[in-house]
Amino acid sequence: MDLVLQLLFTGIGIGAVYALVALGFVLIFRATNVVNFAQGEFSMVAAYLMVVCVELGLPYWLSFVIALSGMALLGVIFNLGVYYPLRHRTYLPVIIATIGASILLSNSVLAIYGPQPQVLQGWFDTPGIQLGPVYLDSQYLLIIGVTILLVLFNFWFFEKTLLGKKLQATSQDKEMASLLGISVSTMIMITFIYSAVLGGLAGILVAPVLFVSIQMGSTIALKAFAATIIGGFGDVAGAIVGGLALGVIETFGAAYISVPYKDGFAFLVLIAFLVFRPQGIFGERVAEKA
Amino acid sequence: MKLTRREFSAGLAAGLAAPALMRSAWAQGATIKIGMCVPVTGPAAEQGLWAQNGAKLALAAVNKAGGVLGKQVELVIEDDQTTNPGIVLAFSKLAAQSDIVAFLGSIRSTQVQAMAPDVIKVGKPVMIGGTNPDLTHSGNPWLFRFRPNDNYSGRVIADYGVNTLGKKKWAIVHSTDAFGTAGGKALTEALTKLGAPPVLDQGYANQSQDFTPVVLAVKQSGADVLGTYFTFENDLGIFARQLRQLGVNIPWVGSPSVVAVSSTKLAGPALFGTYGVADFAEDSSDVAKSFGKAYRDAYKTAPDNQSAWPYDAITILSAAINKAGSTDPTKIREAILATQKFAGAEGEYNFDKNGDGLHGYNVVKNDKGKIVYDKHIDFND
Repeated sequence: MDLVLQLLFTGIGIGAVYALVALGFVLIFRATNVVNFAQGEFSMVAAYLMVVCVELGLPYWLSFVIALSGMALLGVIFNLGVYYPLRHRTYLPVIIATIGASILLSNSVLAIYGPQPQVLQGWFDTPGIQLGPVYLDSQYLLIIGVTILLVLFNFWFFEKTLLGKKLQATSQDKEMASLLGISVSTMIMITFIYSAVLGGLAGILVAPVLFVSIQMGSTIALKAFAATIIGGFGDVAGAIVGGLALGVIETFGAAYISVPYKDGFAFLVLIAFLVFRPQGIFGERVAEKA
Repeated sequence: MKLTRREFSAGLAAGLAAPALMRSAWAQGATIKIGMCVPVTGPAAEQGLWAQNGAKLALAAVNKAGGVLGKQVELVIEDDQTTNPGIVLAFSKLAAQSDIVAFLGSIRSTQVQAMAPDVIKVGKPVMIGGTNPDLTHSGNPWLFRFRPNDNYSGRVIADYGVNTLGKKKWAIVHSTDAFGTAGGKALTEALTKLGAPPVLDQGYANQSQDFTPVVLAVKQSGADVLGTYFTFENDLGIFARQLRQLGVNIPWVGSPSVVAVSSTKLAGPALFGTYGVADFAEDSSDVAKSFGKAYRDAYKTAPDNQSAWPYDAITILSAAINKAGSTDPTKIREAILATQKFAGAEGEYNFDKNGDGLHGYNVVKNDKGKIVYDKHIDFND
């Protein structure tokens, strides 16, 4: 039982990381109908920004604010440089442009910062708490907490605010939205900013656990991408549930079946969903979007 | 004089090509070229940088001492992207340059294995750092190893844990790539010979974000000592932290990555008190000490095996070409194999017929973040 609880905690913790990155995927997909393959690199860039600020001797909270502001700026640049010029083309050139951007981002950081992985201290001084037989890593607790808060925030933002409703309208039907006087390009700009900040937040939160390296984004993004498909592409709740499910499944699969095939379990679940329920757990309108 | 269009084109082509031709003809004679396949991008880009640093340090020393065959030595670097297809491509790019006389390959066994068939085709000496024993034991005459192979690391880890620390209940954790699998196997064999077969043999895939299942397996096995073969320092750092968090504090004797500089930095206190076999230990010899000093002066950081083996490889290769008196591959090969009692940064090189230069390891300890030399264990077979 102790073993199960410990695995469950770690599974949910790592799943929450996938969920945060998956959320970024989903938001951009809803607004633009393309998958942003640079989403993982957003996490990596934010973690490096954070490391740079902390190394400069700035307080942790200020570094956090600067790093997230930097991500908002990156969201603007990304929208103007990668999405906007190709917005009238099909989804394919845009997807390829995001892949290109991801390569550019990771190699730029490599060129500027060098390949050495970096250490980022966690938010708390205590590394974790022992709760009976289970050890709770404080950083994972923070990640889980932030994920819960973000789920609540997203619900409030998209369902209860005018801006959120405008964003939803844009993602559902751009032409109709613009006829109603909504500035579509502004809405898409806001989506990119929000996604970049979300991706950045995931990167900063996970950095103390997984260290800061050039590859950190791509490994998480691959799982997050699988999570969005499992959850139902384009569905916010699906991204969260898909991410958590993936984290728990691979942790238990590794513990009880095989450690070397840990990644295999994640993708086995993905294949099973693609075959038996391609619209994912919550998805309904995939046939129309595919 | 009237110039036809054809004559004009021919003249233009010759004019454009001439400087390039002259440059290449001049370059062929001016220097001795050594090719180096090294990760500039990809997961091992960090280690690749260290390898380049080590090679360049040796190169500067060789050139300062008059070069090779009276010429300056030049290093031609090609990115292997830390992938198998990457190194195959990098090696074929270098091999296409006929004036390159010898090569430095990878520290990664998997990648050496990938390029090995092409090495036989090209038929020129390749210095390697990969420690999978099979690399030099599969009849490839052109691979020369500048680190002790995993038969020795497995034997030294087992010998130290059983005979020095007195521990007999082993858990082995290893990567499932070529390096980790071969290492885990060598350690299991060595332990079985010493009468202490492992109670747990646990593989993991590289770039894992979470090691909780592995740590819990170690905990449940009831082992009183841990032996590891980790390929990437990131993985090792995450594992070490989770190991301590979940309350596993048994002695730990690992492959060189346990005592690598970046692991020490990433894992911090989680690695305090661990032992590692290290082909490079700065306090193990005078040559190692002077290499350490030169490296610190040049790059403002401590060296480790990632930079020590390319340093030795360039030094010994240059000496061998000088001794051979020619850049003929067969003569260079004979000269390298004839290298005996050569004091390098990694230890004393005595090449055997397989192309293995070193036959033992240092055991070092992480003493509160400082890597301290403990003892050297060498084997004659």
